[in-house]
Amino acid sequence: MNPSTFDAIAAVLTEQFHVEAGSIRPQVALDQLGLDSLALMEFVFAVEDRLGIRIPEDRLDPRQAGVTLEQLALLLDEASGAKASGDVVSG
Amino acid sequence: MPRQAVMSSAARLRAGVPVAVTGIGVVSPIGNNLDSFDEALFAGRSAVRAHAFDLPGIDVPALPVAAAGFDAAGVIAPSRVPLDRGTAMALAAADAAAADAGLVAGSFDAERLGIFWGSGMAGAASFEMTCRSVYAERRRMRPTSVVTAMPNAPVAEIALRFGARGAALAYACACASSAVAIGEAMRAIRAGWIDVAIAGGSESLLTPGVLASWQAMRVLTPLAAGADREASARRACRPFSADRAGFALGEAAAAFILESTDPARARGATPRFDLAGYATNCDGVHITQPDAAGQARAMRSALDDAGLSADAIGYLNAHGTATTAGDAAEAESVASVFGANGVPVSSTKAIHGHLLGAGGVVELLAATRALASERLPPTANVERADPAFALDLVMGSARESAGLDAVMSNSFAFGGTNAVLIATRPRR
Repeated sequence: MNPSTFDAIAAVLTEQFHVEAGSIRPQVALDQLGLDSLALMEFVFAVEDRLGIRIPEDRLDPRQAGVTLEQLALLLDEASGAKASGDVVSG
Repeated sequence: MPRQAVMSSAARLRAGVPVAVTGIGVVSPIGNNLDSFDEALFAGRSAVRAHAFDLPGIDVPALPVAAAGFDAAGVIAPSRVPLDRGTAMALAAADAAAADAGLVAGSFDAERLGIFWGSGMAGAASFEMTCRSVYAERRRMRPTSVVTAMPNAPVAEIALRFGARGAALAYACACASSAVAIGEAMRAIRAGWIDVAIAGGSESLLTPGVLASWQAMRVLTPLAAGADREASARRACRPFSADRAGFALGEAAAAFILESTDPARARGATPRFDLAGYATNCDGVHITQPDAAGQARAMRSALDDAGLSADAIGYLNAHGTATTAGDAAEAESVASVFGANGVPVSSTKAIHGHLLGAGGVVELLAATRALASERLPPTANVERADPAFALDLVMGSARESAGLDAVMSNSFAFGGTNAVLIATRPRR
């Protein structure tokens, strides 16, 4: 996992969604952040915007139970790599 | 000194019981608390400033507007989604009103608490951002675009904040929106549908698209050419003056906590004032042109509802938008109800701007501050009323009014909806 990707995730959570810094750890699942499904969609959106990356819709549904922040970071890194290599990314 | 009511038995039968207002919250161009609000109100200090657009390709001249000094980033939505600025202001006002009333969780039955909120174009600023994404920036929409821009967002977020389960109603009646919201909350309490209401309104749409739309109607007062732009902006709105040239748009939110009088006292709350009367009707004449006859009917109905005669009213906060036609119609309707120079009148739009959907609640608030201070706010920027009007216009400094007991506030909207509210000092 790219540390700067995780930092971006943490920054969006604290700055825009008022999540306590102490509860942001790689193993925390998205549905444990105290955000409902709509806020989770908005959160992933905001992280993607911040990093200039789009995760293909078939790779992540933020409303799916159990997806962790670490898994989110890995998906972002994967999509970033795909972008760098010129693959088409939807969204 | 206002005299006691003399009215027909028929009017007495139609009179409704007073509803107590136990809490006030305000976010406005002239202050975000009652002390600041009162200070600017009675000093006639205008918050209207020159505002320039910075969008390339958009041809709108600089305009006088009245912005609120308010940081929306400090407001956290109960739903945790980003908020339209107007919704953030609405939440801040509702929170302040509840704190003022001592309305805390456990002190009320959630199923008997209703939210009644007025806004002319709630969410317009957010929708304008969405349109920019689509048409100009070719960016995708945020998932929260709908819930941020929907016109009932303010009422919904307030309901969530307080866990209200009795009612969540949004009223869109242009410039009469929040006056209607307050009046309908009164009716719901009188009819026994709810015991407590958070009632008021919000409007925040000082964005290029919306301002350009209003500008296109030629009702916005312009900045004077050359000279001192800021001085020109401050005095750009001159209600009831012979040289009036239209209004300056503003943004604001204000909330009242309404309760049945006896239960309010039973829980130890001290009313700030009573809501004694409300009437709403429509002109049925034109989509924008006001109708003096319709306005007069509304004022008379409100007096009937309050069980008061016209001479009981010691101050009238006019709709007073400073348009040529609007002020003329209102001067005529007020004179027909109260007689020539029959009631002291002022328009506070000169200092806080035309707040559209939030105008009703903020202007009623101004009228009740007159009750609390026993003095009448002046119509800023005006030295002489149009000689064609038989109006006792309060100008210059605040006018003393010892013993002031009953005040009226008018809201006359585009589309013809009229709403008139009457407030009195709290009754035992």
